[in-house]
Amino acid sequence: MLKNMLLSATILLGASVSAQAACDFANTTPIKVQAPSFPAWIAVSDYMKTCGNVQVELDMQYKEKQPAALSAKPALYQFAGLAVNSLVPLLNDGTVRPLDDLIAKYGQNLQANQLIRIDGKVMAIAMMVNVQHLMYRRDIFADLKLPEPTNYDELLVSLAAIKKSGAMQYPMGGTYKSGWDLATDFVNMYFGFEGAFFGAGNVATVQGEAGLKTLAMMKALTAYMDPEFLTSETTTVQQQFQRGKIAAANLWVTRAAAMDDAKESTVVGKIAFAKAPAAHAGGKPATTVWWDGFAIAKNISDAEADAAFRVAMQGLSPEMVKANNNAAIWLIKGYEPGKYAVGAAASAAAGAPPYPATTAMGLMHTALGANLANFFNGRETADQTLAKIAAAYTVSAKEKGILK
Amino acid sequence: MIPALRASVPLRIAASLFLIGWLIVAAFPLFWITALSFKVPLDAFSTNPLDVVLGPRTAAAHGGISAKDLLVIGLVMITTTLIFRQSIPLRSKFIRLGVYCAIWIIVLPQALGVFGDVFTRPLFGITWEHYREVWVGHAFYRQFINSAIVTAGVVCVSLTAGTLAGYALARTGTAFAFWLLIAALVFRALPHSVLLAGYLPTLINSQAILAPLWEWPATAWFFHFFATEPPTLYGRILPVILVLVSINQPFTIWMLRSFFASIPVELDEAAQVDGCTPLQAFRLVIMPVMWPGVITTGLFSFLLAYNDYLVTSLLLDQQSQTMVPAIAQFLNSENSAADQIQAIAAAVSITAPLFLLVMVFQRQIVSGLTAGAVKG
Amino acid sequence: MRGRVFLGFIAPSLVLMIIFIALPLVSVAWQSFHATQGVFENVLVESCAPGFLTQTCVKTIQSRPIMQAGVAVTQTSFVGWDNYRQLLQPDAVGKAFSPTGQGMSALLHIDFYNALRFTLTFTLITLPFIIGLGLLLALAVDDIARGLRGPVIFVTLLPYIITPVIGALSIRWLFVGDGVLTDALRAITGHDVSMFGQGWTIELMMLFYRIWHIAPFAFVVFYAGLQTVNRDIIEASVIDGATRMERLRYVIIPHLVPLIVFVTLIHLMDSFRVFDEIVGFAAQAYRISLQWLTYSLLTPDQTGNRAIARASASAMLTMLGIVVLLLVPLRRTWRDHRGKS
Repeated sequence: MLKNMLLSATILLGASVSAQAACDFANTTPIKVQAPSFPAWIAVSDYMKTCGNVQVELDMQYKEKQPAALSAKPALYQFAGLAVNSLVPLLNDGTVRPLDDLIAKYGQNLQANQLIRIDGKVMAIAMMVNVQHLMYRRDIFADLKLPEPTNYDELLVSLAAIKKSGAMQYPMGGTYKSGWDLATDFVNMYFGFEGAFFGAGNVATVQGEAGLKTLAMMKALTAYMDPEFLTSETTTVQQQFQRGKIAAANLWVTRAAAMDDAKESTVVGKIAFAKAPAAHAGGKPATTVWWDGFAIAKNISDAEADAAFRVAMQGLSPEMVKANNNAAIWLIKGYEPGKYAVGAAASAAAGAPPYPATTAMGLMHTALGANLANFFNGRETADQTLAKIAAAYTVSAKEKGILK
Repeated sequence: MIPALRASVPLRIAASLFLIGWLIVAAFPLFWITALSFKVPLDAFSTNPLDVVLGPRTAAAHGGISAKDLLVIGLVMITTTLIFRQSIPLRSKFIRLGVYCAIWIIVLPQALGVFGDVFTRPLFGITWEHYREVWVGHAFYRQFINSAIVTAGVVCVSLTAGTLAGYALARTGTAFAFWLLIAALVFRALPHSVLLAGYLPTLINSQAILAPLWEWPATAWFFHFFATEPPTLYGRILPVILVLVSINQPFTIWMLRSFFASIPVELDEAAQVDGCTPLQAFRLVIMPVMWPGVITTGLFSFLLAYNDYLVTSLLLDQQSQTMVPAIAQFLNSENSAADQIQAIAAAVSITAPLFLLVMVFQRQIVSGLTAGAVKG
Repeated sequence: MRGRVFLGFIAPSLVLMIIFIALPLVSVAWQSFHATQGVFENVLVESCAPGFLTQTCVKTIQSRPIMQAGVAVTQTSFVGWDNYRQLLQPDAVGKAFSPTGQGMSALLHIDFYNALRFTLTFTLITLPFIIGLGLLLALAVDDIARGLRGPVIFVTLLPYIITPVIGALSIRWLFVGDGVLTDALRAITGHDVSMFGQGWTIELMMLFYRIWHIAPFAFVVFYAGLQTVNRDIIEASVIDGATRMERLRYVIIPHLVPLIVFVTLIHLMDSFRVFDEIVGFAAQAYRISLQWLTYSLLTPDQTGNRAIARASASAMLTMLGIVVLLLVPLRRTWRDHRGKS
């Protein structure tokens, strides 16, 4: 009883958030939603709640919880908010359903760009893209007459100049937290050096020229970072910017708007957004394009899937985008790219590759995350670290069964 | 105390300095996060530590506590303590308290007004916005209720099962009992993450796993009494209570066993001679004298259940989540400095009940331990 | 107490412990000798991802799990000591200690030994500090005026009762980046100290945190013990002319020995599975512990896979370590127990 009362109180609370945007149907099937808890999802889920009977769970541990929750019979959630990499485990387990029929029925507002097709079938719907790109202090670069860096060698020159000028001791920021973040930065730079992670039959080929160049370049950048860079994640870097501690970083575009938030930023209007630097002169931007979106569970009734998809379409409506235009780089109809999207668009236009989400890549990403730190804290040489990464990947790939 | 037992002066000075140093080290981190939680982000993350304590920007935006407020609060507190220490009838206590407080609260501020705004200017900036955001905006009271249910459940189940087992073990010297205690000890030493790996899939798939109990005629009638189909146990509070009890049970049993061992065997032997069954003997003879030990042990169970992060974060979903994993969520989902301070405000909110608990039970902890709950 | 009655009394606790600890433990032991693999086929897959404004579709050869009735096919097989070998890497150890090897430094590049090294030093270094600090605090508090004891005990207990996650975070907030104490250190030493910038400072902070957190527990146990010291013996010793140190050494400490063993036991168990500190201080880039190793193996990787087999092996090894550590203090309990029956 108490629980029900609290539940209805929450629903009321949710409904009041966006009371002006009424759902265009009354949902009667109870739907449980699980999604990551960043601002874009808060906006989307608030719109979903207006349909009624929607219970939302926003949780940054979604990656750990979803595979198990969706494989239960019946699945614990009908709707799973996810990103490009977290779709892979669900596909491997076969716990998400093809959406083609539902799209035909309710997906009039979807754009072709949003449909994530795997082997011809649409398995997920994307709602936004996310990409790491260059943010830098326009004022400091202008004062020192430094040009906008287009590659990391130029950036290093600028950093040296800023440090020398005494404006900042550590002018560079980096999402180098040991684990997923550091591995993502490695992947970005590695693709920037045209590296390939796998040869035939999923054999790791990370121990090569590109790997060594990547590590050397990243190490060179760390010389300009606060020595605590191995614990620094996206929010840390965002705050370093906001407090005027750093002059440049390759940071996620979702954090761009926060730079101009007068409530916590001391550098409002001073940050410029540009395409991600190339790893070497003439290369493509050293970054990867990610998407966030959703999938619908397989182990549920068709009626539930129907309702969940319909509710989801309310969440991804043009009205939602209109109300939250700057919360993300939306892929949804009605989005008008603003000043915060410039750098991301430029990166994509210059050929930044999509993040290659595959089973092998997932294992490689994990191996990178677990083993890179020892290179940056000085305990191992580049060769040793790359050898350990390859070995860790091989063990887990054999365990997984994708490597003979 | 005989005079020779008094320590020499240098030793006493050294001991006092040591104690004062320790008290600062013990309290400072908590003091600091409390101070942070009442400030706007620009103050809280200011590079000047004085800004964090005084909060000039917070004071400008939200006001705060002035010297006058501090004076009034201080005087009211001192007067209250002094009056309640006097041995006069309760009614006159309240009358005196009322008179003095009226003076402090109404007359004093007027008098201080003579000095201009020196006393009324906010000295410490304080804002409740983060607390409001946490408790109202994020409906933190729901997590509080969940925490209360989990904690109360764990303490009750754990003590009920624990006193029985602890008593039995204290009165047995067989090798079986010994090996049971050793097994309990090894269980206590287990890394919890290992056990959790087994719980998660089981609880998520419990509907399928428990299905036979609902289908097999011999047990079906019994279980259908509770529900028409097997429950999904993931996200439910009951299994979490049982898991926490089990994890903590070895410690509870050991504590209570040593405590019961310090109660003379002759007591229950006498009761049995009088014709009591073992259960009656336990109820009539042991229960009346066991409370100091039980309260102390219960406090340890309380701390374990209330503070647990690993088990609750993995086995509960958002609807049934307790406070500690909710904090981690605040921290994980933090995208801005304000979110971070909200996390700190939530952390301080969690600590407050623990504060009260220790204040109330502090004497019992010491006396329970003294009475023999720990004898190695 | 007779057998049936005894069983009746312990049944509730026993059932709980069997279901929630013993059975999972058996399954962990079983899993540590087995491996479960998916069955994959390599196929040419066209996958499309949203670019910015246009969609990019690529055809690549990907490994795809083989499905049967909607469920991915897996194979479980007995692998003997393989999982243990993956962790312990006996070949690499042999190489490290061969004439051409680099000895210890090479050994510590293997995750398991690195974790073991940290866990052991962490456990053994904090132990004497906790016992010592707890004892000093107990003696000091026992010596002050009665009226002051309440508040002093209250503040002293704070670090122990506070939620560990929050305690670790609150200390971290003091030192991280521009934390107030980092700034203070900079002002005192004159140069920038990054407490989270290198391994040894992080290790030092983790040690400090654990001592800060557990010493109050030792204190309250010892303090309770001091209340039961036989005053007659103390007074007799004073009359015999024993100095304060002598009283401490020959009367008080012997009286507290069982409690010291108790605290040691609890502390060995708790700190051998050190985990909260690693998470709270985000130390994994520099220092890892055995339980953290198990936990990280259990965390689903980017493919949703939990390395359950290796995690189980690592857990079994952690348990083995604890049992070995506990053997010494436990011999006493066995003697006591025998004495009673």
